[in-house]
Amino acid sequence: MKKAILFLLILTLLLPAGALAQDMPHAGAEVVTNFMQSGTYDVGAEQLEAGFEEATGIELEIVASPFVVLVQNNITDLATGTGEFDVISGDFWIGSVWGQMHPLDDFIERDMWGGSFIEGLTKQGPSAYFDGKRIGIPYSADAYGLIYRTDIFEEAGISADWETWDDFIAVLGELEMHLEGTDIAPNVFAFGASEQAAAIFLGMYDSYLVDADGNYALDHDEAIASLNQLKSLLDYNPEGATGLSIDEANSVFLTGKAATMICWVSFVRAAAQDPDASLVVDNWATATFPGPGFPFLSAWNLFISGYSENPEAAWEWIKYYITEDEAKRRFVELGVGSPFLSTYEDPELIEQYSHDFPAMVANLNRAETVPWIFAAFEVFFRHMSEFIIGAATAEETLEATLTDWAELEVPEGLVQSAMAQGQMQEG
Amino acid sequence: MILFVVPAFIIVVAVQFYPLAYSAFLSVTDWVLTESQTPKGFVGLENFAKELSDETFRRSVRNSVYITGGALALQMTLGICLAYLTMGSSWRMRAIRTLLILPMVIAPVAAGTLWRILLNSRAGLVNHVLSVIGIKGPEWLAHPDWAIVSVILLDTWQWTPFVLLVVGAAIASIPDDLLEVAAIDGASRWQTFLYVELPLLMPLLLLTLVFRMLESLLSLDSIYSLTFGGPGYSTYTLTYYIYTLGLRSFNFGAAAASSWIFMVFASLSIGLVFWYQRRDW
Repeated sequence: MKKAILFLLILTLLLPAGALAQDMPHAGAEVVTNFMQSGTYDVGAEQLEAGFEEATGIELEIVASPFVVLVQNNITDLATGTGEFDVISGDFWIGSVWGQMHPLDDFIERDMWGGSFIEGLTKQGPSAYFDGKRIGIPYSADAYGLIYRTDIFEEAGISADWETWDDFIAVLGELEMHLEGTDIAPNVFAFGASEQAAAIFLGMYDSYLVDADGNYALDHDEAIASLNQLKSLLDYNPEGATGLSIDEANSVFLTGKAATMICWVSFVRAAAQDPDASLVVDNWATATFPGPGFPFLSAWNLFISGYSENPEAAWEWIKYYITEDEAKRRFVELGVGSPFLSTYEDPELIEQYSHDFPAMVANLNRAETVPWIFAAFEVFFRHMSEFIIGAATAEETLEATLTDWAELEVPEGLVQSAMAQGQMQEG
Repeated sequence: MILFVVPAFIIVVAVQFYPLAYSAFLSVTDWVLTESQTPKGFVGLENFAKELSDETFRRSVRNSVYITGGALALQMTLGICLAYLTMGSSWRMRAIRTLLILPMVIAPVAAGTLWRILLNSRAGLVNHVLSVIGIKGPEWLAHPDWAIVSVILLDTWQWTPFVLLVVGAAIASIPDDLLEVAAIDGASRWQTFLYVELPLLMPLLLLTLVFRMLESLLSLDSIYSLTFGGPGYSTYTLTYYIYTLGLRSFNFGAAAASSWIFMVFASLSIGLVFWYQRRDW
């Protein structure tokens, strides 16, 4: 009798534990995930931490670092096989270590996981792939954009329907005439933040970034034309534009001193609609980013490190963090661009962001990443900065860039990304 | 007796010489971390040759010389002047000295950010003050030459107090009787400074110069936050160059070779100062 009671008692104790093990198959596992310390992505993760731990029994550690440190940590962690992080936050900047990432296809297929991602963002480039396998999933999306003053355009009888940079520059000419005698510049851009000008170049440039042999390259004539066109924008910018930082350029627009601004729209969206910070509330809209190039895309992906001891638990975290509801919440509360179409089709949000959403989605659909590692980007933007301040000609800039690029190797993952995005020389 | 020294000797060798030796090893290897987990092989002096012929490297050296040279000249001159102007132990002088050393305790990265705001050509205080007195301020951070001047100004603002402190202490230690003898001999204030005080101060001034030279050459965080090495490569210093090679491009071989060239360059500069110090003042 005693034995039977004892058996029943043990059974009673074990049943919930068994059920728990079924509900929480990874309970007790530890996952270390990293994010950029921006007060957005990292805060979004911290807000989910307790709920995730409770729902899965997985112990989550969030490591937030400034951008440069994050990239350094990710590259050294993966290149040396240290395995400090299970879930890695990154994009093409860490393309040199994409080969060390855990493929995600099996997880996605098994769990039939997905969502209403913006079509362009699911392609190779915005989403990270290596050797044909998906290794990263975007959790944010921001495309370089162009915003304009609706009141000024209306007053001048100009429509913001440009397709190319030639069209846009022609509009700037019209604006210049219309704004003559005022202290409003037709355009403003943060030329002083030298790394930013590459985004305009990429919008103007319509050719390869990697040659047929897999080396960093640029088409000579296209590059020269784009550099010169980029510099011509200075004619329509306020005096001293070559020294403007991002915040300073934003301030020029927000104080009503520019009719258009080329920028990361996410950096200025909230402030532009805040009456305490902006003189252009309800008088601005996002426009299509001109071509024939592409809007430069910032799409943070979550990867699972190939050195993770808990890839299953790491995948649980990715599924928990990247959901349509969470993306919408992060967009509304933290200003993080959502990779999901459902955010931009939300009736409530459409009403609030009617001046912003249509062009933003169009830009995101066309947006591309670049196959540049840090060293390649550094070389490019520094030489371009010399050109912008008048210390070098377009020819010298291109020659110096190509000379420095000749020393660099394009990582395999980024060659594949360039090929998939049509950025590779044919032949 | 030797046995007692051995543990300390081993620790010193491990802590001090092993990193140096490893860096020397790296400097003769081809190793880009993003391309390979281990060094690809021995390349002899190729990294050194490449760096010495690299235009960006040479420009970085030039920038370092301009910035360090300009900053040191200003800091030593201003530091000595301020030390003399703030001599004394009254509460006013003590308060002034305390105020003057405040920039030194600000983190360089914060100081760089602060000066970035001050030197903003459109809304910065510096150009505003200049406009009040009828001068159109330059594009401090957007013009290659003015960007170098900006870095020199920042370094001078932050580290002149160090010279002031050291020189102030040295002046206070000069025996009064020497000054009295000079006065009795009819020496003017300038002559007393030139022929009595300066020779006595010189060893300490040279030591201060060495400290400041090293600090200035190694400076990275303030330049990073003030100019980001720009515009273009205008304020790209040797330290900035090595940082970029090592921690942004992960080219450990080239970064190690550049570091050794930097070390030789810095050692020669310091050696020159010490050689000068041997003069009988």
